[in-house]
Amino acid sequence: MSNIVEIIARYGYQSLALALFLEAIGFPIPAALALLASGAAIAAGAMQFSIALPVAVTAMLIADALLYVAGRYSGWALLSLLCRISLNPEVCILRSAKWFYRRGRLTLLFAKFIPGVNTMAPPLAGSMKMQSGTFLRLDVVGVLVYVLTYGTLGYLFHGMLDAIARGVRTFGSVAEWLIAVAALAYIGYRVWLGTRHRMDGLVRRVRVAELANRLNDRAAPPIVIADVRSHGYYDAGAQRVRGSIRLEPNNLDSALDALPKDAPIFLYCT
Amino acid sequence: MSEATSARVARMLTEKGFDAYVIEGGLKAWRKAGLPVEKVPEHDLELLPRFDQ
Repeated sequence: MSNIVEIIARYGYQSLALALFLEAIGFPIPAALALLASGAAIAAGAMQFSIALPVAVTAMLIADALLYVAGRYSGWALLSLLCRISLNPEVCILRSAKWFYRRGRLTLLFAKFIPGVNTMAPPLAGSMKMQSGTFLRLDVVGVLVYVLTYGTLGYLFHGMLDAIARGVRTFGSVAEWLIAVAALAYIGYRVWLGTRHRMDGLVRRVRVAELANRLNDRAAPPIVIADVRSHGYYDAGAQRVRGSIRLEPNNLDSALDALPKDAPIFLYCT
Repeated sequence: MSEATSARVARMLTEKGFDAYVIEGGLKAWRKAGLPVEKVPEHDLELLPRFDQ
């Protein structure tokens, strides 16, 4: 028996539950791999379907329910936090919200398969005040589909998984190399982001006092103040600078026509 | 970090020929200076769907 199946057989249900729970609350853990391995372990007789399925589903549902409740009671604060951890915070919330916008609540049925959207879907449902019964029913189906899809694939292709696992062991540190390359790529990406922010330093800036003077000066030419916050627009009672206009930062091109070329535009976020 | 988005947008607008500036400190600084704010209008809030109806 190969090592993937051995690992699952040894640490078994706990590792399966842990992997699914951690992935569901947002850790970058490939739970699909754990599911594939569990499917293979079931095929090899090292695990029991009647235990593995409820363990996996329960672990994931607990995580989802926690995020849903947190989203429901924190408004958009939790989402902002989750998005701050992600690689691209600005796009994060809107991207996942767009799924809901386009496909409605059925998003929950397939959200698990889409990285990024998977973690965001339960807290988004909470923030959007989806009823808990509705959420639970849809999420149970979504989790079942996810768990069964990967579990079945692992079950059907367990022979191939064994071969892959054996191959990795034969070529020694292939996995380690892959991890090293991924880590380097990530560092490179952060550095690249850093240089982009340094370029942002060249942008012209204005102090609030200066801007206030300008607003008070009746003789000064007209100006535009634009709100470019990517989140903070979804809570009832949210505030903005008086007289400012909304400029959606993630959909800038469509907003350009409404902007004057001859008046200065002052931008602010949080 | 409160100027990350506005700086990015300002750069893009400048590239397209607009006369764009970043307000230092953003909304936080604006409030701190005691300058006027207003509620975000309802129709802007309805950007996202809600499921509680």
